Amino acid sequence: MITLPTTPSDMDLLRLMLAGDEDAFTTLYRRRQGGVYKFALHMSGSQSMAEDVTQEVFIVLMRDGARFDPTRGSLAAYLYGIARNHVLRRLEQDRLFVSLGDSPEEVDAICVGMIAEGDPLGDLTRNETIQELRHSILVLPAHYREAIVLCELHEMSYIEAASVIGCAVGTVRSRLHRARALLVERLRASRDRNSSSEEVNPARCFA
Amino acid sequence: MNCNDLTISELARGQMMEASLRDQALVHAASCRNCAIRLADERALTEGLRGVVTEAAGSEAPLSVEAKLLAAFRAQHSENPAPVAVGKYSRRRWIYISAGAAAAAVIAMLFLLSGSGHRVSPPSVPEKADVSPQAVPPARRPELSPGTNGVPAIAEQAINTPPAHARRTAARIRNAGYTNRESNNATAPIADPEIATDFIPLMNRESLTQLDGGQVMRVELPRSALMSFGLPMDMERANERIKADVVVGNDGLARAIRFVR
Repeated sequence: MITLPTTPSDMDLLRLMLAGDEDAFTTLYRRRQGGVYKFALHMSGSQSMAEDVTQEVFIVLMRDGARFDPTRGSLAAYLYGIARNHVLRRLEQDRLFVSLGDSPEEVDAICVGMIAEGDPLGDLTRNETIQELRHSILVLPAHYREAIVLCELHEMSYIEAASVIGCAVGTVRSRLHRARALLVERLRASRDRNSSSEEVNPARCFA
Repeated sequence: MNCNDLTISELARGQMMEASLRDQALVHAASCRNCAIRLADERALTEGLRGVVTEAAGSEAPLSVEAKLLAAFRAQHSENPAPVAVGKYSRRRWIYISAGAAAAAVIAMLFLLSGSGHRVSPPSVPEKADVSPQAVPPARRPELSPGTNGVPAIAEQAINTPPAHARRTAARIRNAGYTNRESNNATAPIADPEIATDFIPLMNRESLTQLDGGQVMRVELPRSALMSFGLPMDMERANERIKADVVVGNDGLARAIRFVR
């Protein structure tokens, strides 16, 4: 009889890890660290913060992994939730110096009014659009940013994202919609700025 | 179907939708100019976001993180677990960071309590307060060693620099027996030279109290903090960290700050 190898689930690995199985921990870490790291990186824009948060998340898992309740969501969502708390706490500490504001007027003024860096006279290539978009995501208020990061960059469903954030599905949906609207306005403003700066200089024909 | 931004957004995201609703939305977008523009913009955004995902596809934590975690795991499950300096920062470094966060909290509190009148505005910043290397007089490590009357030379620099209340601040620091942790060892090896702004006072004349001692704390702040002090900043680097020296009295109040590079 042939026994097909089965890939251990996150729960199986967690159980073994809590029992002291180092290989199980390594497997679980390597499976989930990328998502946690990228989430922290997209939220903070800082590689050092992303590294710290990733480490802290798995330290918490080692220490408090027995508290994980699989009936409340997936282990991945649990790890994202821990990462989210750590990132927001670190960003809140930095908030003393940078206030993006939460009122719609403030957010609109900040996100639409900020000038895109780089060469405004150059063509907005796809790569530049991506860079500008990354920057635009980072200047969104945290509650809009996490909706974009979870639903768009990590392709989570509304339900999964709501599980990570700890809010209603409708809240995630509305925040995502608002965040996309802000990003569209910024991209539109940038595109209009670039198109208006490219003046057409008619040249005389010397033929 | 009427204009519905939410439906347009979900259409652009390629989300699963009821077929009839999808068809109605597409028909509407074909006839409504605003919705057609909106749909095009949303689709461009979706494509851009996918580009961000693709660009970050290979990003992951460095191997050093895994090594530290494995060390922590082994320590946790060993029979005689030894204390392991887990994380990027040692305990001592965490104390410094906590102190820096406390100083930052004090700075923020001062701004909130003092109102708009005492916010450091560009005219009150010394002319040389510019982090660009061309404009800032270099601040070398030897300046942290004790200067006149035990006051580090960096404080003496502040003494000799306008505006007037910055001079008074520095004078109070000098008279109060100002100390600097790093000046305790006058023979400390000189590290790579640093460039720094002048000290920017954080308290106005009326709020200054007589110092009875204090210290300089080296902290790390987000680069965006430069904006709070009227200093220029490259928005591209807003999320990077910058070093700063904060003069903190024994009463825990921050007196002055300078940015270091």
